Amino acid sequence: MKLGRRRFLGLSSAALVGLSLKSEKKIAGGFVNDSFQMGHLLRDRAAFPPARRVEKFPVVIAGGGIAGLSAAWRLRKRGFTDFVLLEMNEQPGGNARWGENEVTAYPWAAHYVPVPGPKAAYVRELFEDLGVLKNGQWEERYLAFSPQERLFLYGRWQEGIEPAVGLTPKDREQFQRLEDLFAGFRKSGSFTIPLELGRSSKDEALDRISFAEWLRRQGFDSRLLLWYMNYACRDDYGALAADTSAWAGIHYFSSREAEEKGPLTWPEGNGWITRRLLERVGQNIRTGQMVHRIKPSRSGASVFAGDTEFQAEFVIFAAPTFLAPYLFEKFPELHDFVYSPWLTANLALDRYPDSRGAEPSWDTVFLDSPTLGYVDATHQSLRTYLDRTVWTFYWALAEGAPTQNRQLLLDKDWLYWKEAILHDLERVHRNIRQCVSRIDVMRMGHAMVRPAIGSVFSDERRHLSRFHERVLFANSDLSGISIFEEAQYHGVEAAQKVLAKLLG
Amino acid sequence: MGILLFISVLLVAACGLIYELVAGTLASYLVGDSVFQFSTVIGTYLFAMGVGSALSRYIHRGLAHRFVWIELLLGVVGGFSSALLMLAFAFTQGFELILYALVIVMGILVGLEIPLLMRIVKDRYHFRDVIAHVLTFDYLGALGASLLFPILLVPRLGLVRSAMLFGMINAGVALWSTFLFAGQLTRTRGLRLACLVVLCGLGAGIAEARYITSTAEDNIYADEIIFACDTRYQHLVLTRFKDDLRLFLNSHLQFSSRDEYRYHEALVHPGLAAVPAPRHVLILGGGDGLAAREILKYPQVETITLVDLDPDMTKLFSSHPMLTKLNDKSLLSPRLKVINADAFPWVDSNTDSFDFIVIDFPDPTNYSLGKLYTVAFYRAVARHLSAQGFIVVQSTSPMFARDSFWCIAQTLKQAGLQTYPYHVYVPSFGEWGFILAGTHQYIRPAVFPSGLRFVSAAGLTSLFQFPPDMSPLSMPPNELNSQVLVRTYENDWKDISH
Repeated sequence: MKLGRRRFLGLSSAALVGLSLKSEKKIAGGFVNDSFQMGHLLRDRAAFPPARRVEKFPVVIAGGGIAGLSAAWRLRKRGFTDFVLLEMNEQPGGNARWGENEVTAYPWAAHYVPVPGPKAAYVRELFEDLGVLKNGQWEERYLAFSPQERLFLYGRWQEGIEPAVGLTPKDREQFQRLEDLFAGFRKSGSFTIPLELGRSSKDEALDRISFAEWLRRQGFDSRLLLWYMNYACRDDYGALAADTSAWAGIHYFSSREAEEKGPLTWPEGNGWITRRLLERVGQNIRTGQMVHRIKPSRSGASVFAGDTEFQAEFVIFAAPTFLAPYLFEKFPELHDFVYSPWLTANLALDRYPDSRGAEPSWDTVFLDSPTLGYVDATHQSLRTYLDRTVWTFYWALAEGAPTQNRQLLLDKDWLYWKEAILHDLERVHRNIRQCVSRIDVMRMGHAMVRPAIGSVFSDERRHLSRFHERVLFANSDLSGISIFEEAQYHGVEAAQKVLAKLLG
Repeated sequence: MGILLFISVLLVAACGLIYELVAGTLASYLVGDSVFQFSTVIGTYLFAMGVGSALSRYIHRGLAHRFVWIELLLGVVGGFSSALLMLAFAFTQGFELILYALVIVMGILVGLEIPLLMRIVKDRYHFRDVIAHVLTFDYLGALGASLLFPILLVPRLGLVRSAMLFGMINAGVALWSTFLFAGQLTRTRGLRLACLVVLCGLGAGIAEARYITSTAEDNIYADEIIFACDTRYQHLVLTRFKDDLRLFLNSHLQFSSRDEYRYHEALVHPGLAAVPAPRHVLILGGGDGLAAREILKYPQVETITLVDLDPDMTKLFSSHPMLTKLNDKSLLSPRLKVINADAFPWVDSNTDSFDFIVIDFPDPTNYSLGKLYTVAFYRAVARHLSAQGFIVVQSTSPMFARDSFWCIAQTLKQAGLQTYPYHVYVPSFGEWGFILAGTHQYIRPAVFPSGLRFVSAAGLTSLFQFPPDMSPLSMPPNELNSQVLVRTYENDWKDISH
């Protein structure tokens, strides 16, 4: 083909323009930390290898999330070292796992702990141990830096997540009235963390209706107020207010003093706590050990993981309860344990995108988005100059039935979630696609136990704590609320019970 | 006709050189690294001129006609080159590509001019006269342009309008040529019309150039910009008016060479002279080397560690002759070590002890800088302080940002330090404040290094006295999780500017 001079000039100038225009960036990534394959092996009763080896320990802890790690922390702190902790994944931490790239460490799930109140004695003890609480003072560099939370609404930003701009007098009256109601519940002393220390049967009626229903009965109908209540339930429970026990909804707002200090947080979120715990108990942990059967007896229990039988005098079961029916023979069928499916994603940013004039904040939420927004991992960095960062994007799949949403997590490919996430962010950060170089997505079918209607005062839950003399359940499922403080409380409690029995 | 013809040679040569200078200047201004930019732009330009000269042999007929068109084309391309490059830098990623494409196109056109002209006039003169005259005027034009460009054009007209002005000269030469070579031309009316269109276009461009260059800089910097670059961390601009050299970081004035001695003497001497036998000094910020210059006046000081984020800043103040004159080559002193690092993590990870610590950061205008004014930061810094030592903190203006100043004082107190605030008048800043902090009582020194122009033992007392309009206010300390200082500072300055 002979190229005419004009045509050549035309083509080359077109190429010149094309080269110099800003082109769409390639975004890498994929699914990470998938663990449902292992869960499905259990569910489908796959054949596991017979035990070829026997190991004996006075105590075996199953599960290396915060509950299991806290049990281990308490055991070692009391000078008891003859135990093993079995963790299914290669990385311990459960919902307090973390990741790291060349810019920063970042969380995979839980990313903060509210400043614990006086009742959360174990949490305070842990934080003293970790240097977070010193002489009654919270270490400044572990409190969330300012600016902390921001909400994007009506094309602008506001500080804080509770809607404060564009409120009608009716909205204001309802927010105030609700705050007064919560203050009353707070004063009653029944809404505590840990939950077990305050829970009173006089509030049992609140557990029989949904939070949405309770709000309706109290005459709350402000759109912004209901959005905020739903946001709170999605954020802490992965559920809509309509699927949350009213008791739990009230607990969210009435269990903590109105803090002025802001939560405790770290670049890797609660992964920081996991790291510090691993420094203390790491030598007792075996990772990649999927427990596939637990056989209790009168004098102890056998825990089968891989081809090893761990013979224990006591087992601390710190894995999620939904696994129990697949691990124990003749385990009663569970009805009051609903789990919320979640999706988290970590976005590696080569630069900060346009943010409509705002400086980066710690936690960013969009009004009326189905997602929970994102947290900036470098916000807790002490550096003054930050040009790259990681955002952790949170999405509780709260709308619809958990089983359907779990199927959705399995069915949709990475591209689907990538586009959904970018689409959500694009409503504010218009050039986000030019700034992101990688999106890793973590799917969690059973991310957290859900305080569904009737679950806080459930008999099933009560029975679980007396399941077997030699097998102690220790996880936040015992509370029905999946928060750090509850997981830690039950882990420490179980360890103390075991120590009391072992050492008399 | 002779002299007129050779004047067009002169003008044409001047235009050619101006475009080359414009491209080189813009490239080094926008991209940085002026040696590299000028070398490659000039080299490419000259090579393209060679290509143009070589191509001239393919033009057989209608020499005068072609010459007029080349002049016109060059007027358009060269005239708008500067504006085009600025827009390219602002809106595309291919600035360099467009730069060199333009340089090549202009070079080829310029390379065509002289050979064509010589051939047009070759029958009127002896060959040796043609060569001698054309080249003489060519070089004369180049000299004129090279002198005009830095002295008159850039300071008065700016790059965009200079290029357009010379584009008009090219077009003017084209128009003139239609008369000069009328005998060799047909359709002269059409040609002249084209010339007028180009002239009008460029004239309009000059009138509206402000819209193209309405980058904020024109409004911010009143004086001549002698150096500007975007480092990885900040936008750095150096201006000069007569003997006044000013440094702006992200549009904030850092010093004026006329009165910076007041600021830097006051920053260093009240504290350092009060430390018995200071051996090791730390400067956080202060990449301009001016605080270091004052510290080097103490022969007892053995080491100065200067931690500044921006290597381009410390490099500039180590090498630029005007700036090394200002800081007495302090950054090149064998007693001084430059560390380019982010201050907070560095302070956190380093374990050295210092007898005097100068904290000279930009004002807390955003949350990032705000981290460097927190209890957590001052606690971390205080761990480096020897028993007899002091810290001094640049603490913004107690006059214009009174709340902010006393907030910083309260923050230092919260970090467990005793504070001794003082202030000084710096004409280009106004009233400015500093806070001395340490773990023991401050006793005003009686002896200072010789040769100071502002700080003296007699004058020191008044610096520590605050008149009612700057007197202490009760403020909360600034902490990482509150960042009250950034909000306070913003309000303080908002009050002033409205």
